Amino acid sequence: MRCVAVGLAAWLAVILAGCRLAPGHPPDPDSRPDQVLDFATLYDQNCAACHGRNGQNGPAIDLGNPEYQALIDDASLRKWIANGMPGTEMPAFAQSAGGMLTDAQVDVLVAGMRKAWRAQDAFAGAAPPAYAPAAAGNAGDAQRGQQTYQVRCAGCHKAGGEDIASSTYLSLVGGQALRSIIIAGRPDIGQPDWQHDAPGGKAVTPLSAQDVDDIVTYLGTLRSAATTTVSAQGGGK
Amino acid sequence: MPGMKRAAGRVYAWLERRLQLAAPVKDAVLHPVPRNTASWWYVFGSAAFTLLFLQIFTGILLALVYVPSAGEAWNSLNVLNHQIPLGWFLRALHGWGSNFMVAIVLIHMAQVFLFGAYKFPRELTWILGVFLLLMTLGMAFSGQVLRFDQDAYWGLGIGASIVSRVPWIGGGLVHLLLGGPIIAGATLSRFFTLHVFVIPGAMLLSAFLHVWMVLKLGINEWPMPGRLVSRATYVDQYNQLTHEDGLPFVPGAFWKDLVFSGAILAAVAVCAFVFGPYGPGGQPDPSIIQTVPKPDFFFLWIYTVLSYLPPAMETPFILIAPIAGIAILLALPFYASEGEKSWHRRPVAVLVVTTVAVCWAVLTQLGTTTPWSPHMSAWSSDPIPVSRLHALTPLARAGAVVLQAKQCRNCHSIGGLGGERGPALDDVATRMTMDQLRFKVVTGGGNMPAYGKNLSPPEIEALVTFLETLHPANEPPAYDPAQQQAIEAAQPSGSAP
Ligand code: HEC
Ligand code: HEC
Ligand code: HEC
Repeated sequence: MRCVAVGLAAWLAVILAGCRLAPGHPPDPDSRPDQVLDFATLYDQNCAACHGRNGQNGPAIDLGNPEYQALIDDASLRKWIANGMPGTEMPAFAQSAGGMLTDAQVDVLVAGMRKAWRAQDAFAGAAPPAYAPAAAGNAGDAQRGQQTYQVRCAGCHKAGGEDIASSTYLSLVGGQALRSIIIAGRPDIGQPDWQHDAPGGKAVTPLSAQDVDDIVTYLGTLRSAATTTVSAQGGGK
Repeated sequence: MPGMKRAAGRVYAWLERRLQLAAPVKDAVLHPVPRNTASWWYVFGSAAFTLLFLQIFTGILLALVYVPSAGEAWNSLNVLNHQIPLGWFLRALHGWGSNFMVAIVLIHMAQVFLFGAYKFPRELTWILGVFLLLMTLGMAFSGQVLRFDQDAYWGLGIGASIVSRVPWIGGGLVHLLLGGPIIAGATLSRFFTLHVFVIPGAMLLSAFLHVWMVLKLGINEWPMPGRLVSRATYVDQYNQLTHEDGLPFVPGAFWKDLVFSGAILAAVAVCAFVFGPYGPGGQPDPSIIQTVPKPDFFFLWIYTVLSYLPPAMETPFILIAPIAGIAILLALPFYASEGEKSWHRRPVAVLVVTTVAVCWAVLTQLGTTTPWSPHMSAWSSDPIPVSRLHALTPLARAGAVVLQAKQCRNCHSIGGLGGERGPALDDVATRMTMDQLRFKVVTGGGNMPAYGKNLSPPEIEALVTFLETLHPANEPPAYDPAQQQAIEAAQPSGSAP
């Protein structure tokens, strides 16, 4: 009789002590999706599909490129994430713009990208053209842009209206994304940065701010030549 | 010590003088049962009875902490899970006890049916049993509602949509069930009352009557092929059997009941310990839309049936099938109150039980494995495998972005990631030509939405260009032979590609 009682008490004690370790012990309750403030989680859930895990090898621009992180300022980052890039496939994420993220979460994303992907001296001392065009709307010279394009880009990108110079492709990409890609490059897919834009990706005279304006303006004229513009579609979602 | 014994004896005598329970209890305990019914097949009823008491006991303990208000219910379950020592275990016991009880009651019922135990004179025992089954299911359902998490919302939503199909009074019934037009605080109060007062009260009463009749009418004898039941002779035959070849109920048959009930309780405890309590799942906040609610196991098959029925059949089926099923169960002992009891000579009965069991298993299996709902966040969280993006043209890469941006991934997986409503797209190019792809995207069909109006022509071009690249390296994309011929005819044969 006493044996049974002692055994029972011991069993109870084990259960009580070990109950946190029991396989059936419930996990902590899910926090609300709008209370998640962990950069890795937020990025994986909201951005990884388009911008790639770790900010590279996705279909859209590689946010993890240190040159890109050095190029763009916090305000622009926050603006694109919160409000999306109208007329492109980059959606708006802030709740104020119809998305699912709170302002605090957008801030976590900005800070987290900086911490994870910004590198010291990404440009190796060189000064790239500015992130944003000097005048609103890339007011460069389309004619000059076409010439620069032929010299600096067409060698890798086929000349005859194909590939990136096709109006179909350009209808899906905004001017800012083109700028970002020309200046910072996309190391994950082999697009060189502004200092290496020459067949073979060799170091050449870097593109000037004027050159970048011109090329983006030129590519813009190809896009508007297309019958449909994406901006008419509202882009976004 | 002897003094105490004498005192206890006096208290007992005082009580017995007034209650006079000793004789009937002794009767019940020692009444003879046929020797061959003291079998392991006859233990399910008592196990169900034991589980009922486990549920009442754990339920009372839970009610000490649970707060039946819409704002507090979910939190109070989390308090039980995380702040009260072993609170989670208590919840798990109650949840698994419920599962075991539904299962045991169903097994008990199948056994009684196969052993012909519902025949004369045990018709009323069977009928009460049918009501006990319905009440057990009612408890399982209302218990799930008390969790008041997203799954509860889900279960209620389905329940309400079934009820709302009743002609004419459907709307009124929904109002009655939910305590208003929508799921709200009043709904919870209603289900709390049902789960804690109304159904358990009725259940206890019915269960006692059920057991009372079992004791009074005797436990069904082991069915022998060829020994037919007839109203005129059955009772005499039964009494003869119990006297010639009988055992006192205790301990002759009772020890098996005890052992089995103990084993079931242990199994409940092990399941509770290993698998833990049910939920509570996500908060019951309709503004959180990133969820995939699931019904509890026992109600999954209803979901499957609903989603496979053609829409025109749904209403008649939902309204007629349950009523017909219950009516058949209730009518059974009147339709077949005499005759053969043994399953050896009742092929139809065996067939019915097997069919029902197989159907239920298959439907439940489908319910657990079929991907019912899209993955709401696949479009922004599930990357396309890097190998699929390798060496794409810019246009195809833009198409991959469109595929994500237009949320195709919520229904279509690539590389095993993404929703499964639609077919996986990993090698869609081997199945469809460019034109077929374009047509499918624009016009939809099946459960695939038509995207014609939501995509610009460049978006469609980019998307189809990307889809066309989705084929294994060693298997070329599908092509249209007619078109291929036309192209070849247009080209002079000399020009190499
Ligand atoms: C549906 C796909 C998609 C998702 C999801 C997405 N993006 Fe984008 N994003 C794009 C595309 C496409 C572009 C380039 C827009 C263009 O073509 O003009 C872009 C551009 C951007 C840019 C600006 C690039 C530049 O040129 O400076 C930033 C910053 C950015 N995304 C951040 C994010 C973050 C952070 C998330 C997650 C919260 C996210 N994106 C989720 C598709 C997406
Ligand atoms: C050294 C060769 C090379 C040069 C020079 C070059 N590119 Fe590229 N570019 C690439 C490669 C490689 C890719 C990735 C493969 C592809 O998309 O075809 C690419 C891709 C692109 C993309 C698509 C990016 C995306 O996200 O899909 C754009 C836009 C682009 N280049 C623009 C330009 C422009 C504008 C120039 C001239 C300033 C230029 N490239 C010069 C090699 C080059
Ligand atoms: C609501 C879920 C859903 C969404 C969103 C969706 N699809 Fe589908 N899709 C389906 C279903 C279901 C089918 C199977 C239809 C059938 O029975 O023919 C299908 C079929 C297809 C097929 C034919 C596949 C085959 O092997 O037969 C293609 C291609 C396709 N979808 C592309 C897309 C694209 C591109 C998008 C985004 C623009 C998209 N789907 C969005 C559900 C969806």
